[in-house]
Amino acid sequence: MTRRTRSTILPLIGALIITLIFVAPMVWMFLASFKTVSGIFSIPPQWVPDFTYTDNYVTMLKDDWPYLLNSVIVTVGATILCVVLALPAAFGLTNFRFRGRNFLADWILSTRMMPPIAAGVPLYMVFNGFGMLDSIWALIIVYAGFNIPFAVWVAMSFFRRVPRELIEAAQLEGCSWTQTFLKVALPVSKSGIATVATFVFIFAWNELLMALFLTTRAAKTFPVVISSYVTTGNTFWELVAAASVIQAIPPIIFTLIMQRHIVSGLTMGAVKD
Amino acid sequence: MSASETAIARPASRRLARSKERMERLMFLVPAGVYLVALTIFPFVYSVYLSLHQAKLTKLHRMRFIGFDNYAELFTDSLFLDACRNIAVLTVSSITVEILIGFFAAKVFFSLRETRVGAVLRSASIVPMMITPICIGLIFSYIFNPNLGIANFLLGEIGISPLGWFSDPSLALATVILINSWQWTPFMMLLMLAGLMSIPAEQYEAAEIEGAKWYHIAAWIEIPAIRGIVLVGIILRVIDNLRLFDIVYVTTRGGPGSSTEIVTFFAYKQDFQYFQVGYGSAAAVVILFASVIITAITVKYLRSAEDD
Repeated sequence: MTRRTRSTILPLIGALIITLIFVAPMVWMFLASFKTVSGIFSIPPQWVPDFTYTDNYVTMLKDDWPYLLNSVIVTVGATILCVVLALPAAFGLTNFRFRGRNFLADWILSTRMMPPIAAGVPLYMVFNGFGMLDSIWALIIVYAGFNIPFAVWVAMSFFRRVPRELIEAAQLEGCSWTQTFLKVALPVSKSGIATVATFVFIFAWNELLMALFLTTRAAKTFPVVISSYVTTGNTFWELVAAASVIQAIPPIIFTLIMQRHIVSGLTMGAVKD
Repeated sequence: MSASETAIARPASRRLARSKERMERLMFLVPAGVYLVALTIFPFVYSVYLSLHQAKLTKLHRMRFIGFDNYAELFTDSLFLDACRNIAVLTVSSITVEILIGFFAAKVFFSLRETRVGAVLRSASIVPMMITPICIGLIFSYIFNPNLGIANFLLGEIGISPLGWFSDPSLALATVILINSWQWTPFMMLLMLAGLMSIPAEQYEAAEIEGAKWYHIAAWIEIPAIRGIVLVGIILRVIDNLRLFDIVYVTTRGGPGSSTEIVTFFAYKQDFQYFQVGYGSAAAVVILFASVIITAITVKYLRSAEDD
């Protein structure tokens, strides 16, 4: 055995164990989604299910696809709204010189510290007043707003990387700020924008608390539906498993594609990776 | 047009142009600003206002101002005090576990950084932190099911009697901590990995020449290098833990007894189960102040650590 192989063999075993710890629970739920109710809790455990058994998915989707659709609409809507509001603000904060600029940036960041529960009752009452309870619009508005601080901060970190000369050149050519923003800053920050958008997407996709009290029937999102499979009397594990697998697909795809950006994203650009 | 007329007209048009530019600039910042005020400042101010009242969600027209009575009641409410203690225990132990295992994992992936297999395993192991917390909770409810879950089955195989993961009051909080740290250890791992990657190779070489042992390297090179990054991670994790809700909602609902009660869940129950929104808002305001104070302290410490 060469020195090189020996120095990687121990870390490799370590890495396999670590990966197993973080992946196995998810795999176990994935396997459960292909088991019958009795297979889910058979002792000894049924290690390998019959993958052609897809009744759980069929039953679950037949009843709950409207909520899955709600989730998709709310998430996409919130992501678009959030990005449309946050990108100009981030551009302004990085490029305009004005008094109170740092204060404004810090204030935006500080709003992220607000626990969502503190916003729950007031928002419930506002939407109640507008007759917007149980409407997907209410959720789009709330999810977009809650993610603005995060989106502005991450967007600032990539707008700062746009070369100063590029912005100045556009200004000298007589571009207005709007034109500079649309024709110079946005095109060179495409990958950053994609990062922000996918993060907002995942945050909105995962949200439960606000959806729990702003929706009752029509506008329920998928996480609310999944949580409702757990009742005090019984848990419908076969449906939970199938729904969890579907709910997990976007985050998994996102993690695999964007993993390089995850550290800088989750720390809002405070840490470069 | 005479020469004198243009001389007068020009500053006016320039002023017009400048105010037009100012308007244009404002339009970049105003929409997001207004939106944020409406969605965060307004609810916060309103929560503070509600917290000073006796208010029932179903009878809001009959609110009664009671000053700080809700707060006084909170701090004598044993359920709330349990919730505060639980969230403190949960935050401190989860973050400790996340840092310890995260550091070990970061070292492992650091030594595999140039291998393809290392990259693949790393991407697989960071998936938990992006998965919907409600699903994480359900996955572990399934695994830790007292009679039929795989965890107790495996314990049985090695001769350990089954545990009441969620039903045993002395174990339930530890189980929630376990789940929470499972989800977020990959985050700490990634942070520390980024820190380790930033260490210049010469420092390692110099240490090797001087015959430094691994613990010397950890204490004198690695830990100082990642300290700043880890502090950022700690701040973010403290804020996130203070607002933790989903996992408890789906696994224990605060029980058995008050053993896994946490402050957000307490506020949620007051607001939307008992409709005591004044009382619930007071609890939410306490969480907010706790986040602000803890963040301020940590940021201050972080700044002074950076100045060293």
